[in-house]
Amino acid sequence: MLRLLGLLALLALALVLALSVGARPVTPAVALEALRAYDPTNPDHVTMVAIRLPRLAAGLIAGGALGIAGTVMQVMTRNPLADPGLLGVNSGAAFALLIGATAFGAAGEASVALLTFPGAALASALVFILGGGLRGDVGPVRLTLAGAALNALLLSLVTAIVLVRQDTLDMFRFWVAGSLTQAASRPLAEMALIAAGGGIFALAVAPQIEALSLGSALSRGLGTKPRRVQAAALAVVTLCTGAAVAVAGPIAFLGLMVPPLARLIAGHSLRRELIASALLGAALLLFADTLGRVVMPPSEVRAGVMTALIGGPMFLWVARRLRPGATA
Amino acid sequence: MRGALTLCLLLLAATLAALMLGQVRLSPVLLWQGLSDGEGPGALVLGTIRGPRVLTALGAGAVLGLSGALFQTLFRNPLAAPDIMGFTAGAGLTIIAAIALGLSLPMPLLAAGGGLVAALLVALLSQRRGHATPPLTMILVGLGIGFIASALSSFLLTLLPHTQAAEAQRWLTGSLAARDWSHVAQVWLIGALLAALALAQLRRLAALELGEDLAAGLGLRVGPARMALAGTALLLAAAGVAVAGPVPFIALMSGPLGARITGAQRLPGRMLAAAGTGALVLVVADLAARAALPGIQLPAGVMTGLLGAPYLLWRLSREMEKGEL
Repeated sequence: MLRLLGLLALLALALVLALSVGARPVTPAVALEALRAYDPTNPDHVTMVAIRLPRLAAGLIAGGALGIAGTVMQVMTRNPLADPGLLGVNSGAAFALLIGATAFGAAGEASVALLTFPGAALASALVFILGGGLRGDVGPVRLTLAGAALNALLLSLVTAIVLVRQDTLDMFRFWVAGSLTQAASRPLAEMALIAAGGGIFALAVAPQIEALSLGSALSRGLGTKPRRVQAAALAVVTLCTGAAVAVAGPIAFLGLMVPPLARLIAGHSLRRELIASALLGAALLLFADTLGRVVMPPSEVRAGVMTALIGGPMFLWVARRLRPGATA
Repeated sequence: MRGALTLCLLLLAATLAALMLGQVRLSPVLLWQGLSDGEGPGALVLGTIRGPRVLTALGAGAVLGLSGALFQTLFRNPLAAPDIMGFTAGAGLTIIAAIALGLSLPMPLLAAGGGLVAALLVALLSQRRGHATPPLTMILVGLGIGFIASALSSFLLTLLPHTQAAEAQRWLTGSLAARDWSHVAQVWLIGALLAALALAQLRRLAALELGEDLAAGLGLRVGPARMALAGTALLLAAAGVAVAGPVPFIALMSGPLGARITGAQRLPGRMLAAAGTGALVLVVADLAARAALPGIQLPAGVMTGLLGAPYLLWRLSREMEKGEL
């Protein structure tokens, strides 16, 4: 309970910082005022409502969804290097985006989500399956390499499209470095619903997933049907990752960092771990985004780069620590 | 022996096809005229465009293939190839960084330098005090370095103006467009030197292939021998990247593919087969990329990516069935 309160306090701090820090600093008091009594002539209020709030919402949705997807993926594949944002998902979304833009003419910002959601969802499902999500015991190298292979394949196709249709290059390169800056033009409400649905579903099937992670023989003894649980886990990963990519673009390494930290906080109950992952993922992404606004003024470092800079070393650390027996 | 002949014939056929086909088609007669007398329209096309392009592709493919086979044998793992282990991504990052900073050094050299730095990082970071480095740890660390490098690359790409971004995108893929005779001389001279260096170490590689303990038992100083071999293999990869850019998957595919085509069992034969297959794959990929779609010239790297990724996935499912991953 105390730990949950601590986590909520952390998230609250992230929220306050995300609202007040930036090129135009706004004090928390003014931020609150903008919410209660919005004054369109006050530039602080406009900054708040038109820019910071959508951005905050995008951070909450993407961060929470990636935290949940990461935890489910790591538990199902028993692989501490699993990360939905890392493995082929980004290029799947990019590929769908470019196909759509080439087929229907340059896509406006509004249609980005329509195209990236199915792309990311399909790719995450594919990587999850290729990486052994339906088989249980396969080593971490396999999932990571399956993701890298899918990534390379799709990126070759993306490069071919971008080189032939130069007008799609700008769309591609600005989208592919994930960030929260485009939040205002993304379908936040829809994606929030999808992510929430994925999260609730995850909570509902958490006991079965936990039973399955004990090993298939033992879990059958407990009355679990492995295929159904695997399909449910796949649905969670697909929904959550798709929603996250649709609001924020590719955010790598967040789904990798969050689950071990959440386990430290929540202990070994998957339900509590999932809740902790969602809160922690949202808080971390907001911190990363806020930090990106201040490190290199006047330009912003994108949230996706910040998470890579923090999460990348963590990936290396985990990769080094895996026992040779576990990696083989 | 028959396998080696097959590979040679395939190489010859691919080279001739690559010389004849393209936006301007050369008939066999024109090709012969151009090659023998140095006259006619054939000579112009061959001397200025296709000749250097095809010869560069052959050289770059061969050094990349040899490099991959050396790595795979040294680490006794079919997935240990420089293009999997961060080399390509490191090369890409330096290219974009150089374009963003406005450095006017030759792009390919920068790419090779970046690849080398990434590879050294991988080697350093995957070492653990008092333990031999398991190859799979190295592969994972390499993938991690690759992920970080590509995140940084995509960030830098957003900072560039449109034209420079397009240029960077072309360089990132690995391409053989607009090569001249200096590229040919560069890759063949350096490649020949490094290949000789590698062949001179084959005896030690054969010992290492038996396992570290056995190699040590045979009187080999394992650490230095491994370092020298890995260093040679890295320089070979860099020599290829320096003229063709970071073409993906050639190094990964050539070794196993070459062994399959030629049926070579012994180490020198396998190495030569890998080099030949690398050359074959790159020439064919380049030909397919520039001639497959009329009016559209794609970089060779797009084709090797499309070929190599399914190969990697297939390899993964094979390894899983054998229970090795």
